[in-house]
Amino acid sequence: MSTGQRQLSPSSRAHLPNGHFPVLQRAHYEPPWSNTSIIGVAGSSGSGKTSLSLAIINQLSLPWVVLMSMDSFYIPPQGEQLQAAFRNEYDFDSPKAIDFDLLVEKLAEIKAGKKTDIPVYSFEKHARLAHTTSIYSPHVLILEGIFALHDPRVRDMLDLKIFCEAESDLCLSRRLIRDIRERGRDIEGVIKQWFAFVKPNFTKYVEPQRNVADLIVPRGIENKVAISMVSDRIHKTLKEKSKEHQQKLRHLGQVSEDMALSDHINILEHTNQVRGINTILMDPDLDREEFIFYFDRLAVMLIDKATEVGTRFKPCAVHTPVPDEIYQGLQVDGEVSAVVILRGGSCLETGLKRVIPDCRTGRILIQTNVRIGEPELHFHSLVEDLAEYRCVMLLDPQMSSGGAALMAVRVLLDHGVKEDRIVFVTYMAGKMALNRLMSVYPEIKVVVCRIVEDLEPRWVEERYLGC
Amino acid sequence: MSTQEAPNQHVGPDYKPTSERPEATVSKSLSLDNVHILPQTSQLIACLTMIRDKSTNRADFIFYSNRINRLLVEEALNHLPVLPHNITTAVGRPYAGVKFEGRICGVSIMRAGEAMEQALRECCRSVRIGKILIQRDEETSNPTLFYDKLPADIKDRWVILLDPMLATGGSALMAIDVLLSKGVPEEHILFINLIASPEGAAKFAKKFPKIRIVTAFVDEGLNEKNYIVPGLGDFGDRFYTL
Repeated sequence: MSTGQRQLSPSSRAHLPNGHFPVLQRAHYEPPWSNTSIIGVAGSSGSGKTSLSLAIINQLSLPWVVLMSMDSFYIPPQGEQLQAAFRNEYDFDSPKAIDFDLLVEKLAEIKAGKKTDIPVYSFEKHARLAHTTSIYSPHVLILEGIFALHDPRVRDMLDLKIFCEAESDLCLSRRLIRDIRERGRDIEGVIKQWFAFVKPNFTKYVEPQRNVADLIVPRGIENKVAISMVSDRIHKTLKEKSKEHQQKLRHLGQVSEDMALSDHINILEHTNQVRGINTILMDPDLDREEFIFYFDRLAVMLIDKATEVGTRFKPCAVHTPVPDEIYQGLQVDGEVSAVVILRGGSCLETGLKRVIPDCRTGRILIQTNVRIGEPELHFHSLVEDLAEYRCVMLLDPQMSSGGAALMAVRVLLDHGVKEDRIVFVTYMAGKMALNRLMSVYPEIKVVVCRIVEDLEPRWVEERYLGC
Repeated sequence: MSTQEAPNQHVGPDYKPTSERPEATVSKSLSLDNVHILPQTSQLIACLTMIRDKSTNRADFIFYSNRINRLLVEEALNHLPVLPHNITTAVGRPYAGVKFEGRICGVSIMRAGEAMEQALRECCRSVRIGKILIQRDEETSNPTLFYDKLPADIKDRWVILLDPMLATGGSALMAIDVLLSKGVPEEHILFINLIASPEGAAKFAKKFPKIRIVTAFVDEGLNEKNYIVPGLGDFGDRFYTL
């Protein structure tokens, strides 16, 4: 490891515009949800695929495991076919009824770690509903459907292929119960469908999937051994992924050790007030009321600065109340939105509301696993059309290793926000963390009050929130 | 001093390309050591544009003037003396900090000055606030002192004098006389205002060279009615009653 210079590739140097700083070649960050493991669960209608999948998920009892049903990918029947569907004479049990192209496209998106919108199919209306459900950041996805192992393009993306087996009378009775109770059909219709479509299709298309499966599971949820085998395997995969993620984070730390701080990092000017407030805040004997008061004051300064850094302005001439007087001023061009990284980020919200009272605010919960020190994304709830905002502030009072920051920026990018519109606002940050972040996302901006030693434990939110 | 054009320039941080730094009228610069003008950031200009616009409603007027007032208070507080103060942080690291030195109080010139009290309180919670009422004598049009109520120990404090508009400076100069008569040293007075006229600032600098003025903007000048132009109209009316 020498200096940041060694990261300059000859090609990037050749394209440098005159008078600009050399552009460092980007380092790469892979979030733990990239290259999602996908498990396919196929089997006859009524063979207990869903229950088996749910049993596996239950046994895992982990976030980041998502179940996706292939029912979402039915092609809505049109015209005569639609009439047939309402008469129970449309063949839903043939591979032709499934939109495999769309499925392949969506699986590829999920695998790439992007936010993916999944259609919702209504059996009552035999149509796709206007809304979609979105899937984002699962580490493991279970794809469940009679034809989960049918299409070779899908099979290529599966990490584990399961075929669920059950006696055909059991399948029929389960199907009867489900279709009558949950899908509003009558008994004749269901039986008609069974013999017209389900049974012939089983022999023709469903059963052959046994030959391409890695695991054939008889007796569904009663098969406790199979369930724990699968869940053990998933655990192992997750562990490997987490190890890989941590290794990459460490590697980024080494790469960026000697780099100078990017000029996209804006450090709050250390006036007497800022130094005085810092002194008060860092006194371990300070009571909480005082801490909150002074922290809020500093937060206002940080948000003020972030607004200056991230907002775009346009000229605006106004008439003042003094007759015939015009002032050539400025107007904010485009809206600012914020995303709070929980739980620490909420300490900066009072400051945010003092500067932009009506700021639309999304929230993401990233927790660092205390055992292994790896940041984990638990929850996200973002503003709609986040990509439309001129500036998105990410709020987190402390940047220790930079792992959570890398993950949070990645979440925004995956939701379509442009990198140069992101402003990361933090009270204190370690140099290594900042360099890690900037080496991966050189176009974002950072507003920070204090640069501190690397890997300082997170204490600000504990003081502010009192627990 | 006659009315002259205030400068137009590209506003925004240097690292942004010129295309992202739109042109606007910024504060005149004055070669007076005791006048401190806030950095002319695009945000400050945008907030000023809001409160100057006669079509801005009262709620926005109050919010944006308060935002600027807070910047003014923060800047004024930076002029207070500090002493070195080293501490050990909760995570056991040393920090070379500073401690605020000297007690302060606010004094608002009624009624417009009172509109700046909120910002002062947001930065100094339990600050004492004195009041001075000065009105123009209808016959002579000279400012006359009607009322004052100030902390008893005001001579031992730093005084932040609040008045959003510094036009001719008549009433502010009178308020200063009141403060000096109570024994407040000249160099312990910080006068903050949103918009100042070059005439008012110059008059102050000449008469009280040790008093510091912190202002967000020095405007073009005064019109024949002694209104600051382009100004923002009557601050008190817009804040309290209009």
